[in-house]
Parts: sequence; C-alpha cells; structure tokens
Amino acid sequence: MELLSYDFIQRGIVAGILIGVSSALMGVYLILKRLAFLGAGLSHAAFGGIALSFLLGADPYLFTAIFTLVVANLVEFLTKEKRVPGDTAIAIIFSSGMALAVLILGVVKGFGENLFSYLFGNILVVSKRELAYAFGVFLIVILYLALFYKKLIVLTFSEELAKVKGVNVKLMNYSLSSLTALVTVASIKAVGIILASSLVVIPAMTGLLLGSSFLGALIWSAVASLLSVVGGIALAFYYDLPPSGAIVGISIALFLLAYLLRNLPLK
Amino acid sequence: MPIVEVKELYFSYDGKSPVLEDVSFSVEKGEFIGIVGPNGAGKSTLIKLLLGFYKPQRGKIYLFGEEIQKFKNWKKVGYVPQRLSIEPTFPGKVKELLLSAASDKREFSFLVDYLNIKPILEKQYNKLSGGQQQRVLLALALSSNPELILLDEPTVGLDVHGVSHFMSILLDLKANHGKTILMVSHDIGRLLRHCDKILCLNRRVCYFGPSEGAVGFVEEVFGLRGLVNGTLKL
Repeated sequence: MELLSYDFIQRGIVAGILIGVSSALMGVYLILKRLAFLGAGLSHAAFGGIALSFLLGADPYLFTAIFTLVVANLVEFLTKEKRVPGDTAIAIIFSSGMALAVLILGVVKGFGENLFSYLFGNILVVSKRELAYAFGVFLIVILYLALFYKKLIVLTFSEELAKVKGVNVKLMNYSLSSLTALVTVASIKAVGIILASSLVVIPAMTGLLLGSSFLGALIWSAVASLLSVVGGIALAFYYDLPPSGAIVGISIALFLLAYLLRNLPLK
Repeated sequence: MPIVEVKELYFSYDGKSPVLEDVSFSVEKGEFIGIVGPNGAGKSTLIKLLLGFYKPQRGKIYLFGEEIQKFKNWKKVGYVPQRLSIEPTFPGKVKELLLSAASDKREFSFLVDYLNIKPILEKQYNKLSGGQQQRVLLALALSSNPELILLDEPTVGLDVHGVSHFMSILLDLKANHGKTILMVSHDIGRLLRHCDKILCLNRRVCYFGPSEGAVGFVEEVFGLRGLVNGTLKL
C-alpha cells in the first residue's frame, strides 16, 4: 500500500475514478446512439480550443470547456438540423480542431512544450482545481442520468418511439452532446487528447458486453473504468510507465476478458 | 369530431416529386382503418406525417380536432413501427423498457397481463423472437393508454400464427377498449376481412371507404386481378 501513501497518487486516483466513471457512463449512451467516435472528435477539437486559449491568454481549462461545448452542439446541429451524416460532422470538427492547433503553433512560437503536454495528459499531476472540475462533472453526470434515466432508455431504444412518448428528443440529444463535451475535457487531463475517447468507449463497451440489463451495463461499465484507473495508476507507479497508456492498456485487457467471458460456452 | 382529419395533404422529400398529393380523409372514433398501396405509395410517409415526424408542405392534418403543429398531447397516440433495427448491444430488458414507458405501475401490470408478457419480462429485448418483439412494441405503444394507435407494417416477418395473434389483439383493442386504429399492411386479404374502412394510396387516395367496396380499387392499383379472392394467376 506504498502507493496510497503519496498525496499526488491519492489525488490522481480520485480524479481518475471521477473522470473514468463519468466517461464510461456517458459512453454507454453514446455507443447505443452510434456516436462512439464523438469523444475522439471532441477531444481533438478541444486541442484547437487549448491552443486558442494560449493565444488569447485565457484560462485553458475554462476556455476549452466552453469551446468544446460549442463544438459538441455544432455537431448535433449539423447532424440533426442540416442532415450532415454523424461520422462526417465528427470528422470535420476533428480535423478543424487539429488544424487550428497546428496553425497557432506555427504562427506563435513558444507554446509547443506546454501545448504538447495536453496530447498525452498525466493524471498524477492533477491540481486541486482540476480535481474540483472532475468532481463537478461527475456530479452533473450522475444527477443527469438519475433524473432522465427512464427517458434515456427509451431514447436509446428508438428516437421515434421516444418522441411519441413525449420525450423532448432534441433537448435530450443536445444535453447528451454537451455532457460528452464536459466529460471529454476532463478526460484530457487523465489520459490526454489522443487517448481521451478510449475512456469513453472501452469501459462502456465492456459494460455492454457483461450487462444483462440496462442498469447492469451501466454498473459494469463504471466498474471496468474504476479497475482500469486504479490498476493503470498502480502499474504506472510500480513499473515506471506512463499512466495514460497503462490506464488504457488495462481497460483494453478488461474488454478482451469480457469478450472472452461472453463467448465462453458456459451452458 | 373526427379523431384524424387530413385535408389536401401534399408532401415531397426533395421538393420536386410528390410522395403524397391531395390526400384527404377522416377517421372517426373506434374505426379500424387499413392502409394499403404498392411500395413507394406514401403509406409510411403518411404515418410519419400523422406522428409529426415530418411537417406537411401543403394541406392540413388535425388530431383530435387540433392542428398537428399545435398538438401536444402525444400520450393520446400510440405507434407501432416496423421491426426496429435496434443497436445489437442494446442491453435493456423488456421490464426496463416497459417501466420506462408506462405511465404508472397499474398501467404496467395491465399491459403485462393483457399482452401475456410476464414470461419474457426478464429477457433482453434483443434476444426475443420477432413475434415477441412486436408484442413488446405494441405494449410500448399502449403504455400511455392511447386513444389512437398507428401501426406501420407491424406484422412483417411474423409467421401465420404470429400475424393471427397480433391481429386478434388489435381487434380486441377496437371492440372492447374503443381504440381507433390505422394500420399499414401488405396483408390485403386480412385487412379487407377485419377493417371497417380501407384507405388505398398510390401517392393520391385511390379509394377510401368501406372494406366491402375496396376490392376492385385495390386490384386496379396493384394491377393484379384476382389478388384479393385468391384466383390471381401470374
């Protein structure tokens, strides 16, 4: 238990769990709505936001959160109002965000080192402010899912049926995208821009493989995420590995295990 | 007051070629209307317009006397789609789905008994047979105790026994629960036997009236003499 005697490790584990569980829970809904790639699109778009915040001298965390919220809602607007296919809209914001960051890096010298630190993230250097953000996002996600649990089941089952059942489908879709944006910005700190979407997609998919009900899938996805974060940080600590890679590595191992378990001839 | 009233409805997906043109008809409370027509005749589009998924480009639709754009009381309307293509990983159990859609526990219990859903309550929707899935979709449609039920080819993919069972439930809903039903189907013979009226569509209304008088019109639209009475020779 040497691991837990360090203050920065404790903070990293708490932040990682808060971020990981929020991401995994949102991931279940995104996969069921065939928007698994939204997390990747938003995290790469967020890179543009981070670069822009450097250029404008704004607070990177707050600015990027607002920037990513706007981008997420733009994706929803393009797909639902302008009939742009979902994967195309995500590809557009993915490329635009990266292009914006590259342009700013090219024009303004001296941002490079700071900006590149966001690419891979490090959960072990999380500040108290970032921990507070992660906690805030976690609370919002849990509250949202608890309040709209039934509506979200019908929505992920069929949008048409949800509409007839009186669910405000448009509002629910915009709010899901907005929450995904907040969760993605938090994930950037834990595993970086490049791997942020893995926290959204992989534990959620593990949960969907293991869960024999909707609630079961949510619980399993949260458990898979929790194990990935704690296991990943422990692995990184004892074997001197990058925490982001270790966290994602464990989550992939859990996914493979779940896949094997599901396909075992147990009967 | 008609439950459904459609006046000179026009709709086109691309703004050039109409899918529905000058469509007018009205449905009274407790009527069972069968909607027939060849593929591409606008049947499913009409159902989606009645559900408010699309807006009429010309003409008017009234539900329960209220213009559809202003209509808010969707609990009065139930909808059974064609077999849904649900995400294969959707983990929800039948019980979770019904509890999420039902107005209250009493409604939930009624539906479970009425549609004999108890044996499949704890099963995942994705693991049910086609007939069981359609029964769950009907239960979801009935979960707000609607007065009007719209069905879009609900029996596609069901075997003869499944279709008969499904139809017997619809007939009971009409006869004993006073529901108004509009159903799109290619099972013309069955619709002619059971429905009060037939709406034959082929972009325009070819026939709207009592089932007994529909045979000739339906055969003409499909271009197949003997389609209905079984003497058709291909």
